[in-house]
Amino acid sequence: MILETIDLNKRFGGVTAVVDFSLKLPPGAIFGIIGPNGAGKTTIFNLISGIYRPDSGKIIFQGSDITGLEQHQIARKGIGRTFQNIRLFRGLTVLENVLVALDPGAPYGLGESLLSTPRKFKIEKSLRERARHYLNIVGLDKFRDLAPESLPYGLRRKLEIARALATEPQVLLLDEPAAGLNPSEVRELISLISDLNGNQALSILLIEHRMEVVMQLCQCIYVQNFGRTLAIGPPAEIQRHPEVIKAYLGEEE
Amino acid sequence: MDMWSSIAIFTAINVVAVTGVFVLTGLTGLFSLGQAAFMCIGAYTAGLLATKYGWSLAPAAVAAVLLGLVAGFIVGLPTIRLRRDYISLVTFGFGEAIAAFLNQAVNITGGAMGLSGIPRWTTLELALVSALVCLFLVWGFKNSRYGRQCLALRSDELAAAAMGINVNRVKMIAFLLSAAISAYAGVLYGFYTSYVEPVMFGWTKSAEWIIMVFFGGINSLSGAVFASIFLTALPEILRAASEWRIVAYCTIVLFILNFKPTGLFGQYEISLQKLWEVWKKKAKDVEPL
Repeated sequence: MILETIDLNKRFGGVTAVVDFSLKLPPGAIFGIIGPNGAGKTTIFNLISGIYRPDSGKIIFQGSDITGLEQHQIARKGIGRTFQNIRLFRGLTVLENVLVALDPGAPYGLGESLLSTPRKFKIEKSLRERARHYLNIVGLDKFRDLAPESLPYGLRRKLEIARALATEPQVLLLDEPAAGLNPSEVRELISLISDLNGNQALSILLIEHRMEVVMQLCQCIYVQNFGRTLAIGPPAEIQRHPEVIKAYLGEEE
Repeated sequence: MDMWSSIAIFTAINVVAVTGVFVLTGLTGLFSLGQAAFMCIGAYTAGLLATKYGWSLAPAAVAAVLLGLVAGFIVGLPTIRLRRDYISLVTFGFGEAIAAFLNQAVNITGGAMGLSGIPRWTTLELALVSALVCLFLVWGFKNSRYGRQCLALRSDELAAAAMGINVNRVKMIAFLLSAAISAYAGVLYGFYTSYVEPVMFGWTKSAEWIIMVFFGGINSLSGAVFASIFLTALPEILRAASEWRIVAYCTIVLFILNFKPTGLFGQYEISLQKLWEVWKKKAKDVEPL
């Protein structure tokens, strides 16, 4: 397993957001998490990426325990993520938004930054090329000098994905990547995600409400309701699962 | 002539100080209301070493900047982790504490009487060269991986950390760089006025620098430099209008911030490349005639 969570628990005051969440993500797989609003899906992502610490339970990444590590340490270990409510950096261009993800590992120091040595410019140039490579993957290279706020919504979602790719993750967590996209954008997104999975051997965990995305991409789906896992299984099975239908459509009187 | 050279020196010193504040407030989005305390540390350290121990300019300046760094580290270590509004509070407290300490430590610092007899080593050339060097260093910082990380965490700390940015470390680097530059501005200041007293370095001074950064454009180094030149020289030039100069100064600042909240320059940077493009375009426009 590339990513594994064992009995994760998280409460906020009196609210139990996540109860005993266990997941096994094999390398190269695409798994999905679905569930109604408030089911604790995003909390699971926030636990894995280190924004919250679990009250109990463990997170294992590539065989080592990463529970309780700082957010930036987890990102550098190889877990990238996007956010449900797009969080791009204002004040930086599209290209710089991607560059920032390369910056923590950029091989020049503070002295070279201040003195603007030739080596710094050389490294900056190669960083820019690498950043443009990631922009090319999502088809945003021609917008590289624009402000991210000026991009239409669908492209901002893509920029978030490019930025997450630039952290060079082995596991990518996508939090509702299709939210707010129109049908043709959703089709593009589906082929982008399956390309990333196929070409870059990226393991992907995604939260999604749009059933066509989950059903087409995921090998296995976790259904969450009120913090608990209701069902686990392949898409076809989940669609017929009586508990799932109950949680989504409500109980018949 | 003497008045003009004095205005030029004060302006250059303010440019140095404002480049420091730009790193912290402009790039990183942190408000330090105690920034003048680092200037104070620089001015007193260099002044004392020169008057009481006979140190010359360069070693005194280096020692002052190092002490500024040490103070920055001690204040920064617990402060950086706080929420942004608390950072302003703690730095404010630090600034007032330094002023109180200097007032009390009469036998070292002269207390409220101030420290006098500091050699007048800051010449117009030294001030101008210092301003240019600081500009060059901060320009390099802004256009580097550090500057980008500062801007990213200013915009969204959570997303910045998700990119693998060690938010506290980058904030600390920005804090230390700005403390060092502020301390150096203090060295120049002390060696020019030849007299320093604690009240010169209150929070109003820190606030004045923050106003300059905002006035010029929060994201623009060119704007910060323009604002520090304009706003330092303006009250001096308006001096003839005596008490009305403060009113005029405040009115101009309020107008700019009201009608252009991102500051005069916004994100715009003046660069040789852009000037060249403008010139080329002009030349092209003229040709057909």
